[in-house]
Amino acid sequence: MKQPVKHGIVFFAFVAACGALLFSCSKEEVKQAECDILAAWVEGAEYEHLFFKASDMRVDNISSTTTEIVFTVQSVSALPTEMPLYLTLTEGATSTPASGEMQDFTQGPVTYTVTSEDGENQRRYTVAFRQPDTPVGSSYTYSFEGIDSTGLNDFAYNIFYEVGSDGERNYIWASGNEGVAILHPDWRPAQFPTRSTAEGYQGFGVSLTTQDAGALGRFMGKPIAAGNLFIGRFDVGQVILDPLKSTVFGTPVSQEPMTLRGYYKYTPGEVFTDAQSNPVEDRTDEANIYAVFFRNQDAEGQPIALYGNDVLSNPYIVKKALVASLPPTEEWATFEATFEGAEADAQVLAAMGYSMTLVFTSSKGGDDFEGAVGSTLCIDEVTVTFKNE
Amino acid sequence: MRRIVILILTVGATLVAQAGDGHLALRARVGYNLGATTPLGMPASVSSIDAYRLTPSVAVGVDMAMPLGARWLLAAGLRFENKAMDADITAQGYHMELRRASESIEGLFTGKVSQQVSQWMLTVPVYAVYECSPRWRLKAGPYLSLLVGRDFSGIASDGYLRQGGPTGPKIAIGDTPGTWATYDFSDEMRRVQVGLMLGADWKPMQRIGFSLDVGIGLTGIFPSDFATVEQTLYPIYGTVGVFYAID
Repeated sequence: MKQPVKHGIVFFAFVAACGALLFSCSKEEVKQAECDILAAWVEGAEYEHLFFKASDMRVDNISSTTTEIVFTVQSVSALPTEMPLYLTLTEGATSTPASGEMQDFTQGPVTYTVTSEDGENQRRYTVAFRQPDTPVGSSYTYSFEGIDSTGLNDFAYNIFYEVGSDGERNYIWASGNEGVAILHPDWRPAQFPTRSTAEGYQGFGVSLTTQDAGALGRFMGKPIAAGNLFIGRFDVGQVILDPLKSTVFGTPVSQEPMTLRGYYKYTPGEVFTDAQSNPVEDRTDEANIYAVFFRNQDAEGQPIALYGNDVLSNPYIVKKALVASLPPTEEWATFEATFEGAEADAQVLAAMGYSMTLVFTSSKGGDDFEGAVGSTLCIDEVTVTFKNE
Repeated sequence: MRRIVILILTVGATLVAQAGDGHLALRARVGYNLGATTPLGMPASVSSIDAYRLTPSVAVGVDMAMPLGARWLLAAGLRFENKAMDADITAQGYHMELRRASESIEGLFTGKVSQQVSQWMLTVPVYAVYECSPRWRLKAGPYLSLLVGRDFSGIASDGYLRQGGPTGPKIAIGDTPGTWATYDFSDEMRRVQVGLMLGADWKPMQRIGFSLDVGIGLTGIFPSDFATVEQTLYPIYGTVGVFYAID
């Protein structure tokens, strides 16, 4: 009986060897293929006076779709012709110029090329230092005549800009289009929830339509996409994980806003549905328009931004203008609201310590994915009046 | 592939026709399949295998052998079995596609992948047997499997997707339902698989013996025009078995 026992040991050793073989395949350490700038900053006491406040010296959480990094400074002409810019890159990536290398930002944007660790991929960024370009005078009217189409990965949808006093385009407006474009890379501008319309109150206006988010949207618990437009930026990175964090509201302003008014048309969609796509009888969709004025830096010098979950409740909000109701109308009608809350502090204002956002949406409950597919809000000639000293 | 199918069917039919002669030796088998549906060699996009859980990968069947010469036999069998896999991996830049109806998000995923494969099948192995000794037999030959139950699905979580490629939009993926991404390519799987089987039977007792077989798929589990899963995945399974010989 000795022989079989020995064979038995060999036999089961073979079983173990086969199992080990399947899972122990050795492989090379994989090199990073990504090449992003994750953060950019200026450091050193000698540069602090160039900025309005400490939080302006850093640009953090740079979205993966960003290609223009803009720092706000008090005066471009005050910048030294040699200043080091520091960068945090994807692990293993390298940049030209390198992080910390002296650059001259007084002659306009400087281009940085980032190459991935594996050498296979590159991304180009521009870094600019600009003076704040905010509304001046007793009122400012947003006319939505500055229309562009962006084409990231061939996505094409309208984006809106204001033209600054220096003639540069300020892309202060954002929308959820970027998130929709993830699902529909082949769509044209007119297919997106937020788009320009040639039938504005004067010239072009903006049309916002609540849309069915399609099979994939429903599958991810996001059955509708409300048309929205707001001052701020859209961070596509959060669109699945935490959609309310993808809307980042506000841009700095140098004056205290007092009133908000403009023109609108509104047609609610026929069937109101809840977040689970169930029809809710006797409920009609509503549009929403509001403006928020808030402190953009906390006591520790950290930047404050408002997100979808706290745009009306953040403790750093100073005053808000809420449009009470927007009755359905097929003809252009006016809307207006007064900013209510506390007064601005003149010193904080002078230090660009306040930001403002304007928000328009075709479905008031769009953040919670409630609304009626087809609800359409058109807006144009939106005026904010400022306090006259 | 077609030639292998014809060979297997021909040999199988010949053996069944011989069954009446009483020269056939039957072996009833019960086994357990242990292995993986895996690319050949570890792809660079798989950083680590974090967990490998046992699955109900049982195999039951019978085969019959007819003598061909002094030490050679020709055998065929019929087996009902499952070749499953349940594994967690950490991926870096793993190509994947999230799809519902006509919409899809495609790109490179970095994070955790929990992969489930289940392949219930009827398998017909046809093989040559070499009798080393009365106790030992070596076996080799092709097999044909018809899948009756298919599952290839999983969850990508705790990471991010770069849409389109390494410089595309970076979308965070969470670790809860609704914020993670699930995929299911069950319907894309081939219904027929062919492969090669190598093995040994060891019969220390009069009737009862033990077997070890290794089956390697010759074709991927998906048709070659299915590009979503980047690497060709082959079913590679070892079967540890017990058999009862009826001579």
